[in-house]
Amino acid sequence: MNKDTIDDKIIELLKHDGTISNLEISRKLGISEEDVKTRIGNLSDTRPKVLIVDDEMDTLLPLKRSLEAGDYIVVEALNGQEALNKVRNEIPDIILLDLMLPGMDGYEVCSRLKNNALTRNIPIIMLTARDDVKDRVKGLEIGADDYVAKPFNLHELKARIKSVLRRSRNM
Amino acid sequence: MRIRTELIIFFLIISVVPLSAVVYMSYDYSREAIRDTVMTNLLGATENSGNAIDNWMDVRKDDIRVISRSEHAINTEKDELREYLAAYESEYQGVYEEFFLLDLDGNIIFSTLNRTGNASKERYFTEAAKGKLYISDVTLSEITGYPGVILANPVRKNGSISGIMAARVSMENLYRILENIDIGKSGEIFIVNKDGDIIFHNNRSEILHKNINNNFAVKEVTYEKNGINEYVNYKGEKVLGSYYWLPLYRWGLVVEKNIDEAYSGVFNLERQMVSISTIALIAVVLVAIIISRRITGPIKSLEEGATGLLSGNFKPIPVSSNNEIGRLTKIFDDTASELLEIRKKLETKIDIANKDLEQKNKELIAANEELKKLDELKSDFISIVSHELKTPLSSIRISAEYLESEAKNNPEVQKEMFDIILRNIDRLTRLINDILDQSKIEAGKMGLQLERADIREIVNAVIEYNKLLSLKKNISITADIPGNISPVIVDREKLIIVMNNLLENALKFTPDGGSIVLSAKDDTDNIEVRMKDTGIGIEKDKLEKIFDKFYQVDSTSRRKIGGLGLGLSIASGIIRAHGSEIHVESDVGCGSTFSFRLKKAGK
Repeated sequence: MNKDTIDDKIIELLKHDGTISNLEISRKLGISEEDVKTRIGNLSDTRPKVLIVDDEMDTLLPLKRSLEAGDYIVVEALNGQEALNKVRNEIPDIILLDLMLPGMDGYEVCSRLKNNALTRNIPIIMLTARDDVKDRVKGLEIGADDYVAKPFNLHELKARIKSVLRRSRNM
Repeated sequence: MRIRTELIIFFLIISVVPLSAVVYMSYDYSREAIRDTVMTNLLGATENSGNAIDNWMDVRKDDIRVISRSEHAINTEKDELREYLAAYESEYQGVYEEFFLLDLDGNIIFSTLNRTGNASKERYFTEAAKGKLYISDVTLSEITGYPGVILANPVRKNGSISGIMAARVSMENLYRILENIDIGKSGEIFIVNKDGDIIFHNNRSEILHKNINNNFAVKEVTYEKNGINEYVNYKGEKVLGSYYWLPLYRWGLVVEKNIDEAYSGVFNLERQMVSISTIALIAVVLVAIIISRRITGPIKSLEEGATGLLSGNFKPIPVSSNNEIGRLTKIFDDTASELLEIRKKLETKIDIANKDLEQKNKELIAANEELKKLDELKSDFISIVSHELKTPLSSIRISAEYLESEAKNNPEVQKEMFDIILRNIDRLTRLINDILDQSKIEAGKMGLQLERADIREIVNAVIEYNKLLSLKKNISITADIPGNISPVIVDREKLIIVMNNLLENALKFTPDGGSIVLSAKDDTDNIEVRMKDTGIGIEKDKLEKIFDKFYQVDSTSRRKIGGLGLGLSIASGIIRAHGSEIHVESDVGCGSTFSFRLKKAGK
């Protein structure tokens, strides 16, 4: 079941009956009560949504924690295919994309997103341990908006996220 | 230019120049001589004919003189006279057409043709009446129409002129005289009078009907000249003409001969000269060709030999003579054979050298390939190592930064972050150890600290290390080792690394719910250790490579599995350092079995 439509359905249910409980919604849509709670929270949330794509849980987790602390909503994906699905369903404001992913790699994910009219305008910051000039150029050529080499400084990454978001909003 | 051509030209020049000079001189001389002879002959014939005409006319004049002095004429005895004249007529058949007698008034008083009339106006009458013999111009006879002349002579009786005796003489008899002149087929004889009228000609119809005073010879002869010349006649033909003036009768005798016919001797001579010269020229050329062939033949053979030598199909040149060229040919043959011999030797040497070079080249190409592979491996190594080092570093850094700035008051999150940091420090340590081990193996500096060890204890320890992961993937690991197994002589720590690497590897490639069996058994001098999994297996063509450093069966599997790709390489290196080797058998989809032997400890 598409999550996008889940959000739509939640809104539909809330419109229909303003007093409906989270538990009832979760039963009707077949998802957890916790999920319903988060979704309803997110629906009214105006914070920017960041999708982090990285297969290293040890990188992903602290990054997620620190971005959440810095007033972002964080969605995560562990591989390329999952990332594409998440982008469609969550419509993030920005994507942090690791290049070395199992299966479909980061370049492929980036070029698919940039070749799709619906997702073309979502800014992408590439994160990678590879920092050859060659790799950077390749990333930027296929449409990445910025490129940050691992290990990176968290403050710098946050600053870059802000800057890319500002740029994309001004467009 | 070819020598042969040069020789032929040379021969032609030295033979043709004097030959043509001699031929031309003799031709010129002979031509003049022939011309002189021809002219002299024609002129002589003309003069002789002129004289013959003179003689003949003299006879006629004598006849008329004799007749005019005869009694019958003087006395005009007609019957006797007729009889007397008949004798003349019959003696000179056809010469005399008519005899007739005139009185002083010009009346014909007697005629052998019984003609009458008066001739007092005729010139022959008036001239003869003056007392001397007169010969008239040629006229056509009134009776026969033939051309003829009238001879008139006075008849004297007692010293004074009593009458005129005349005779008409036909010109026909001149044909018999003149036919003796050789005029060839196309020549012409004619006699003209003072005015240029033809009075004698083979074509009788032209007589007194044609005036040809525009003819060169006619002009000359009517000026009373004799001679011979070449000119174009009244017919437009080029002729040699001789002319002779007969003053007594005012006749010009002209004999014309076609010039080609007249000088046919000259032309014959010319033809002969040309034939002789041509034959001589051909002979000279033939001789020149034969001689030059004799000279150039051997030279040409030499040239061909030299060309053959250059192009590589030399055949010895036959020595045809003993002269300079023959000797040169001999020397050339010898030198060429020697050169060929040297060439053959050189070619053999070059062949050998080439083969060597080819071999070396192949080796170089192979070495180059090897280097390229090494280079690729190096790039891979740097890329993989940097990634593998940076990823845990990155995790450590983010966690530390987060701890520093945000997580001060949340002990749960703090623990999480510290765990991440420690885990990644371990990961880094393992990586660095792997790299160090690998470089030691490569440098051959893997020092072993051999000791007696119990393989059972080692296997159990390794299984224990990996318990967490095996539980997580629900893979059963069992040890199948007899209790009384002999101890082995190994570097214990290193063997643990080997077993651990193999087991980690098996766990990585065995799907959830699979099984791994570690077994060991006694052999004569060794203990055989085996590890059998129910993993994905390895394709045959990749079996050999799995022990190469950084090798990963499927490069896309890298991230799913992780690691540097050094595990098997290190394991294999350690076992090699123990003087043994790891064997692998595998069926794709069924699993793999790794095995090696270890030395038993002495009792």
